[in-house]
Amino acid sequence: MAGIFFTSGLANHAAAAAVDATLDRASVPAGNGALLTLNITGSKVGQIDLPEVENLIIQGRDQSRQIQMNNGQTSVSLTCSYAVGSNTPGVYQIPPIRVSVDGQNLATKPLTLKVLDAAAVQPPAAAGAPPPAEEAPDTSGKRFGFLTVELLIKDRNYLYVGEIAPVGIRAWLPEESRAQLRSVIQPEGKAFTLHNVSERPQQGTEIKDGKRYTVVTWYGGISATKAGKYPASLSLDATVAVRDTSAPKARRRNGGPFDDPFFDSVMDRFNTPMIQKDVTLKSEDEEIEVRPLPTAGRPDGFTGAVGDFKFETWEIPPSWKTGEPQQISASLGGSGNFTLLGCPTLTPPDAWKSYPAKGDLTPRDAAAFSGSKNFKFNAVARKGGKQDVSLSFSFFDPAAGTYKSLTTPPKSITVSGTDLIEPQSNITTAAKKPAPPKDPLVGQHTALSPTVSLVPLVARPAFTRMLGLAALLCVLGSVLAWLRRRRSDPKRLARAAMETATGEALQAAARCAEKSDVAGFFEAARRAIQVRLGVLWNQPAAAITLAEISARIPAASPITSFFREADLTTYGRHTAADMLPQWQTLLTEALASLTPSTR
Amino acid sequence: MIPFLRLACCFLLLGNAPLRAAGSAALEQANQRFATGDYAGAATDYDKLLTTEGQRASVLYNLGNSYQRLDQYGPAILAYERARLLTPRDPDLLANLTLARKAAAAFEDTRRSPRLDALLNHFSRNEWSWLVAGAALFLGALAILGGALGLPRRGWRPATMAAAILAGLALVSGASSLYLRRDETNRGIVLSAVAAVRLSPFDKAEVLGNPGAGRCVYLGASNGTFRYVEVPGTNLRGWMADTEVSAIITAGS
Repeated sequence: MAGIFFTSGLANHAAAAAVDATLDRASVPAGNGALLTLNITGSKVGQIDLPEVENLIIQGRDQSRQIQMNNGQTSVSLTCSYAVGSNTPGVYQIPPIRVSVDGQNLATKPLTLKVLDAAAVQPPAAAGAPPPAEEAPDTSGKRFGFLTVELLIKDRNYLYVGEIAPVGIRAWLPEESRAQLRSVIQPEGKAFTLHNVSERPQQGTEIKDGKRYTVVTWYGGISATKAGKYPASLSLDATVAVRDTSAPKARRRNGGPFDDPFFDSVMDRFNTPMIQKDVTLKSEDEEIEVRPLPTAGRPDGFTGAVGDFKFETWEIPPSWKTGEPQQISASLGGSGNFTLLGCPTLTPPDAWKSYPAKGDLTPRDAAAFSGSKNFKFNAVARKGGKQDVSLSFSFFDPAAGTYKSLTTPPKSITVSGTDLIEPQSNITTAAKKPAPPKDPLVGQHTALSPTVSLVPLVARPAFTRMLGLAALLCVLGSVLAWLRRRRSDPKRLARAAMETATGEALQAAARCAEKSDVAGFFEAARRAIQVRLGVLWNQPAAAITLAEISARIPAASPITSFFREADLTTYGRHTAADMLPQWQTLLTEALASLTPSTR
Repeated sequence: MIPFLRLACCFLLLGNAPLRAAGSAALEQANQRFATGDYAGAATDYDKLLTTEGQRASVLYNLGNSYQRLDQYGPAILAYERARLLTPRDPDLLANLTLARKAAAAFEDTRRSPRLDALLNHFSRNEWSWLVAGAALFLGALAILGGALGLPRRGWRPATMAAAILAGLALVSGASSLYLRRDETNRGIVLSAVAAVRLSPFDKAEVLGNPGAGRCVYLGASNGTFRYVEVPGTNLRGWMADTEVSAIITAGS
């Protein structure tokens, strides 16, 4: 039984619920047993309902569980093993084994086991497999498996620089092991590059050096950029679990229906503990020779394409006009290094000016080793008249070891218009000489540019200072704006004017008091109070009378009292100068009481 | 005051004239060497000119050409990159830098879109810095004027507002560009094709890889005669000898 499960995204996908049961043989002698394997796939595995058959013994042996997470979906693979046998010869029908998986009731197909008379048959051998033997501990360093690399080129064991050669990469894993890939296959050195390794490997069983392996095979391409002999070292990180054959064997049974060497080996297999290890599977350092492309016979337009290519189709418009670009398409098919396969060129070349082409590859195999590349490019006809046009390109054929140039059958086109005159076609005697190759390097500068520091302003302290200065200017501007607004505030201006007018009125009142001019004192003092009240009440000072004050201010207020005294004096001709100090005190109280609450 | 400033300017110009004439003569001499094919001699002259007179875009460009003629692509790309800091839009410089990179197979690893990259590199970091500083100072001056005099009413008010908005946009775009190109301060160029990135800062430490001459790397801490480098676009990072890599912007340049 190959117990290898790949949980990497490359090799496996989340499976639907399924149940499957197999017997490792169709018949067994009485008193011996066959191995029944029950594989269950699903996310939730419920009760396993084992059938009961008269005279047939079904004994559970081993159970292994694999949990996989794919795109957030959990999938469980459960493998149960049972030893099945009987002491009574006969043909036994094993009914379907019923299992609840993911809420579904699934059942296996019914199986048939023939139990033969023990005296009439030889001891059985495992179907199609070599007899199980005691394995000696593996000391070769390949106990957990290894890789091999094989060039899949016919009649050659070398490749050329730039050639993508097909390779088969095989991972050899011990039978009954479990492996989980932790990386993709990668070259260990810099000599080779892997291309388009297949995502779905093939899996099979093979015997090597007398040992059975499960072999997983990938296909891809390998290429090298330098000539020489290099080891094709590849590696693959994996977690591999193998049975520890060096562990002590379990005690043999004595008596009972399964007291048989076959059952002993079955028991040993199931009772042997597994060893799990993170390993790097490596290929043996088999050297691959990389040969350089020959310089002799290399065509002018060779772009580095190595392989075997041919023209498939090509299209060119039948009517042209000189100087007007039109599109030409061509398809090249074959196998090889399509990356370096350049666009074919128009012939005759002097009659055309071609622009850079766009190429799309359509692969024909998983490794993109063979396919077809479609080119589309614009060209301008330089010469008028009827012309035969063809496309040509060259490549290196690694099988033949030579360069090959292909040209399509010509197509006739008509080009209207006059020939385009190129600047270089103004031929003079001197110009007929072969011109030296144009120097791509632009010449020296002769003018001395100014001396500048390489350190940008942003990395210099001056930058921070400039930003600081700008911030300071912004703050100063804001302060100045605030001051300016405050200075032109009408309320503030009105209050200042009021203070000035009040001060002047009070000074006048004081002067009048000094002169014992009672009428003058009251007039000036009343004006001071009116000015202050006028600002507070927002109305003309002259319009404020005792009647209005009485209506808005309590009668006991010093303001009301002072106005009443002032009216008495003014209209009652009461001019007792000796009362002036009291009226001055009353005036002070009245002014002091003019707080915002008097509004 | 103004006559004094005029006098000072004249003095500076006249005092600088002999130096400028000497520089021009040295440049001419180096160019003649280059023209006769003495590229190594020309490179020495250009180097001397840079040491004595400071960094000049034309001299750095010519120095890069000399090294490119000598097939020393690492120093050539270093000189071109330095010149690009000063004249980022010089077509001759960009053409020769592309040639050198192509010859050395040392291509720029840019993680930004080509259009954004072209926009950011249209100005040098120095020019972006001046744009930011100028815009900030302009806004500051505007704030002072507005604060002191008040924004003019009617005709001038929209113009002033438009100028302030433009300055604000320049400030934001410049600051964004400087932020996006902030890691360029620590760029260096690998000088030699055999320059090795080592696991630890020792001559005999394990070699992790060879980035190749002319490759742009990010420089980190120093340890003795080694610098920590990171090769962009790869996982290659480690220590490289000081003689094998040079910072594009060096202290005091």
